[in-house]
Amino acid sequence: MNQIDRPITNPIVVLREESDDWAILFNPDTANAVGINPVGVAVWKMIDGKRRIKDIVLEIKASFKNASESAFEEISSFVDTLAKHNYVGYELKTTTIVE
Amino acid sequence: MLMNTPRTVDIEVTTHCNLRCRYCYFFNNPAVDYRELPTDEWLKFFDELGSLGVMNVVLAGGEPFIRDDLPILLEGIIRNRMRFSFLSNGTLIDDKIADFIAGTHRCEYIQVSVDGSCAKIHDSCRGKGSFARAIRGIRTLQRHRINVAVRVTIHRNNVTDLENIAHFLLEELNIPSFGTNSAGYLGTCRLNAEDVMLNIQERQLAMTTLLHLAEKYPGRISATAGPLYEGKEWRRMEDARTQGAPIFSNGGRLTGCGCPSNKITVRADGAIIPCAMLAHDELGRINQDSLEGIWKKSPALTQLRNRHTIPLNKFKFCADCSYIPYCTGNCPGLAYTITGEINHPSPDACLRRFSEAGGIMS
Repeated sequence: MNQIDRPITNPIVVLREESDDWAILFNPDTANAVGINPVGVAVWKMIDGKRRIKDIVLEIKASFKNASESAFEEISSFVDTLAKHNYVGYELKTTTIVE
Repeated sequence: MLMNTPRTVDIEVTTHCNLRCRYCYFFNNPAVDYRELPTDEWLKFFDELGSLGVMNVVLAGGEPFIRDDLPILLEGIIRNRMRFSFLSNGTLIDDKIADFIAGTHRCEYIQVSVDGSCAKIHDSCRGKGSFARAIRGIRTLQRHRINVAVRVTIHRNNVTDLENIAHFLLEELNIPSFGTNSAGYLGTCRLNAEDVMLNIQERQLAMTTLLHLAEKYPGRISATAGPLYEGKEWRRMEDARTQGAPIFSNGGRLTGCGCPSNKITVRADGAIIPCAMLAHDELGRINQDSLEGIWKKSPALTQLRNRHTIPLNKFKFCADCSYIPYCTGNCPGLAYTITGEINHPSPDACLRRFSEAGGIMS
């Protein structure tokens, strides 16, 4: 892998929080939007390019008492889906080429 | 549940227009102060919209393309991570602005008004030369691959041209779909009502023709008001009434408008209003009052949102009407213009009134 395992949100994406604690992630460049639940909102706010997925899972488990045993798989899958649709990205490692 | 903030904000960004259409809802409204704000006021407001997570801005007027500072305004919208659309007469759209808009990748659509299949009919209410310029504008947008939406306003001069209009728009111009409405009793139209508004027979003709055209071009002709909408809704209401069907989920109360739950409008002078059809109802001022505060706490807006709790059977206007269980009371804007009351059913879209005046459902 030449990508760093710390996801970072696409800065163009808007988190639109609604009154029921759900939210919409909206990409104004593509007009794509997706609804996310309160756990998804909490995860989104932790995707900052500094935390690894396992750091986020630990914090979610601490914040949501009913977090499931499979939280790591679920959150990883959630972040992968966001990455697939360009809501988040991963910073690439820089490689030095020695001739 | 009410959204935290509006998803869409309609902005009448100018009071100027290069046309003087005979049924324009915008001009000749005595409640409106026809004054417009400078660029920096709008840019400041766009910053507020961005901070609230507003997703779409619809720029209207007047004619929005008349503003020289349009690229600067659009940059303000883009900077605040929003998308935009336009309601336009199409006549001022040229390659330069179309190229700019296409380059932003943020344009949802540009709606251009086309009211006839030829200049003679379109220009009869919009002014000489407006058809040619509107079509040139549409072709320019198409060349730049910008999504074009067309709105046809039906009036006395084009009601017999509807088949030609559909053919022209869908088969010659290759517009994916178009929307329809009819000249409504608002603004300038009130001054020309006799000449432009459909009478009962013309309304019936428009309904019949549009229902036929909607079948001929499936999914390509739409309406949220006007003859096509009424043709579909009234047929559904009549079927329900004759079959003694249970009350519709939105029937029997003033449920006719959901707009105040997801969008809000700003007049050119910066007054925040519920919608363009209720231009007199000032809720506050941009850059002076918090939009979020107005959205959540305005008593007038709350009252409008609670309109759906008012039963139709309390109105003398609806007394003994057998359509009540299937009726929504329709547009509060037209209800206000015609009766002077927002919390009243709109007489304009009343099926019983249409039937009593000699109208027959096809």
